[in-house]
Amino acid sequence: MIEVRNLAKSFQAKVDGKRARVVAVDDVSFVAGDGRITAMLGPNGAGKTTTLRIIGTLVRADRGEVRVGDIEVQSDTRAVRAQLGVLSDARGLYSRLTARENIEYYARLRQVPEHAGRHRLAMMSDLLDMGALLERRVEGFSTGERLKVALARALIHDPHHLILDEPTNGLDVVSTRALRRLLLHLRNAGKCIVISSHIMQEVEQLADAIVIVARGRTVAHGTADSIRAEAGTESLEDAFVKLAYEPMHEAHV
Amino acid sequence: MSTVAVVFRKELKDALRDRRTWMIVLATSILAGPLTLLLLSVFISSVEESAAKREVYVANASAAPTLVNFLQRAGANVKDAPADYEAQVKSGRLQNAVIVIPTDFEVKLAAGKTIRLQVVFDETATKSQPITRATLTTLRGFARELGIQRMLARGVSPQVLVAVEIDEVNLASSQARGAQLLFLVPWLALLGSVAGAISVAIDVTAGERERGSLEPLLMNPVSTSHVVLGKWAVVALCSASVVVLTLVGFMIAMLFVRSENLSALMQFGLDEFALFLVMLLPFSAMIAALNMLAATYGRSHKEAQTYATYLAMLVNFTPIVPLFISIRDASWQLFVPAMAQQSVMMRALRSEVVTSSDLFVPGAIALAIAAVALIAQARLLSYERIIFSR
Repeated sequence: MIEVRNLAKSFQAKVDGKRARVVAVDDVSFVAGDGRITAMLGPNGAGKTTTLRIIGTLVRADRGEVRVGDIEVQSDTRAVRAQLGVLSDARGLYSRLTARENIEYYARLRQVPEHAGRHRLAMMSDLLDMGALLERRVEGFSTGERLKVALARALIHDPHHLILDEPTNGLDVVSTRALRRLLLHLRNAGKCIVISSHIMQEVEQLADAIVIVARGRTVAHGTADSIRAEAGTESLEDAFVKLAYEPMHEAHV
Repeated sequence: MSTVAVVFRKELKDALRDRRTWMIVLATSILAGPLTLLLLSVFISSVEESAAKREVYVANASAAPTLVNFLQRAGANVKDAPADYEAQVKSGRLQNAVIVIPTDFEVKLAAGKTIRLQVVFDETATKSQPITRATLTTLRGFARELGIQRMLARGVSPQVLVAVEIDEVNLASSQARGAQLLFLVPWLALLGSVAGAISVAIDVTAGERERGSLEPLLMNPVSTSHVVLGKWAVVALCSASVVVLTLVGFMIAMLFVRSENLSALMQFGLDEFALFLVMLLPFSAMIAALNMLAATYGRSHKEAQTYATYLAMLVNFTPIVPLFISIRDASWQLFVPAMAQQSVMMRALRSEVVTSSDLFVPGAIALAIAAVALIAQARLLSYERIIFSR
C-alpha cells in the first residue's frame, strides 16, 4: 500500500530569465491499495512526475507524508527503494550493452539471485514479447522496444510496489497491449501499482482507482463511476475536464 | 558481488565497447609518446652531425687567405657561403654561422690595423647553436693569436694581454644536457593520464545523466558512494592504462633510438619505469576523481567537456611553470600536483638523487585530493539539483 498525504513541493527555477520559486505540488493526497492499479490523471505540469519522484525517494517533499508499505519514505530510503519498481520519466538505457546486459546490471545491483533473475526475465519476456530483443545491443531500438527493456529492468527484482510514469508515452498499439497484459498480470498477483497518465482511454481501461491531479492538488479520488457521479457527467473525459480545468475558470471570473 | 564490483564490471564493459576509448588509448600512448621520442632523437643526432662536421661558411673567402688558413689548421672545413646567405640563414635553410670578410682584410692585417669581421647567424635556430658557438670561439682564437704576434713584434710580453684567464667548466653532465629537452618525456606521460581519463569520466557522469539513466540507477537500493567508487575505478584504470602504455612505448622507442648520444643522455630503464609508475599512478587516481567531479557538477555533456578542458590545461601548464621562472627543484614544488610529479621524474631522468619523500609526498597529496573529490561527488549525487539537472 502507498499512502500520500498533503504533499507539497516547490523548487527554484528560471522563469523569464529570473529566478523564482515554482510550486510543483501543492496538496496531493491519495491511497493506492494492494492488488489494484491506481492511476494519477492530470494535464501536463499538474505535478504528477514530481509526486512520483517523491514516492521514489529521490526528491524530498517540503510538506506532507508518504508511506510505502508502512515505511515513511525519507526515514529509510534504501528500504523503500528495495520494495519499489520504478519506471521513471527518465528511462535511459546503456546503448552499448545488450537488452539482457542492461537488465542483468540492475538484477546484480539489487542482488537478485541469478536463477530467480533468469526465471523472472523469461516470464516478463513472454508477457512483453521481447524474446528476440534480449541479445541485441540497445543502440537503434525503437521507443516501444526501449520501454520494454526499461520496464523489465525496473521489475527484475519482483517489487511489491510499482510506480510507472506515463508508461504508454510513444508506444504503438501492439506494445501498449503488451504493457497492459503485464500490468493486469501483476495486479492479479496482488501488487500495488501506481501509474500516471494524461490519456483518458488508457486510464479507463486499466485503472481500478483514479486520482485526478490539477495544478498540484488532488481534485478527485475514486473509481471511474464515482468520479463521473461526482462531476455529474456522462463520460470520464467530461468529468476530467470539469474537475481539472473549471475551478481555474471560476478563479478568472 | 558488492555494488562497487557490479558497477565496475558494467562500466568497464561499456567503456571497452566504446570506440572513443580505444582511439584515445591508442593515439596518446602508442603514437604520441614514442613518436615524440623518435623525433627528438632524430633532432639530436642531426645536431650532433652538424657539430661533428664543423663546417664554417665564409663569404668573400678569397680576401682573407690568412684567416682561411687558420680555420683549416683549427680543423674546420671551410666552405664558400652562398650569395644569398642572409636570406638562407633567416629562413633556416643554412643552419651554420657565416663569417663575412671585408675586402681590405689582408691590407689592414699587413698594416697592423683593427679588422672588423661580421658573423651572421640566427640565435633562435636551436640546431645551429653549437656550431655558431664553435665558430665564434675559433674566431676569438684567431684574434688572440694575431694580437699576441703584434705585441711580440713590438717587444711586449703577451702576458700583459691576459689579465684574466677563463677556463670554461661546463657542469652540465652530458645526461643533464639531454634532460633539458627530455622534460617532454614525463610531461607527455602526465598528459597521457589526463587524456586517458577525460572521455570515460564524462561518459560515466554527465553522459549517464544526459541519456536519462542516472535517475533509474539511483533508484536502486545502493549507496551513492559505492556507485561513485565503482565508476572511479574504471576511469582510473583507463587513465593508468594510457600511462603504462606510454611508458612501455618510451622503453620500446629507446631500443630503436638512432642517436647514441641520446641513449647515453637519457636513462629510461626498468628503474625509471618503476619510478615513473610510482609517480603517475596516484596522479591518475587524482585526475580520474577530479574529472568525474567536474563532469558531475556540469549540467550537460558540453559543460562537462569545458571543465575537463580547463583541468587538462592546468595539468599542461603547471609542470612548465618552473621552466619559465627558472626555479629548480624548490622543496615546495613537491606539494603542487603535476609540478611535483614532473620535477621528481625529471630528476630521475637526470640520474639525480630521488629521496623517499620525493616518492611519498606527491603521491600522498594526489591520493588525498582523489579521496576528497570522490566524497564530494557522492554528496553531489544526493542533491535533486544534480540528479535532475535543474
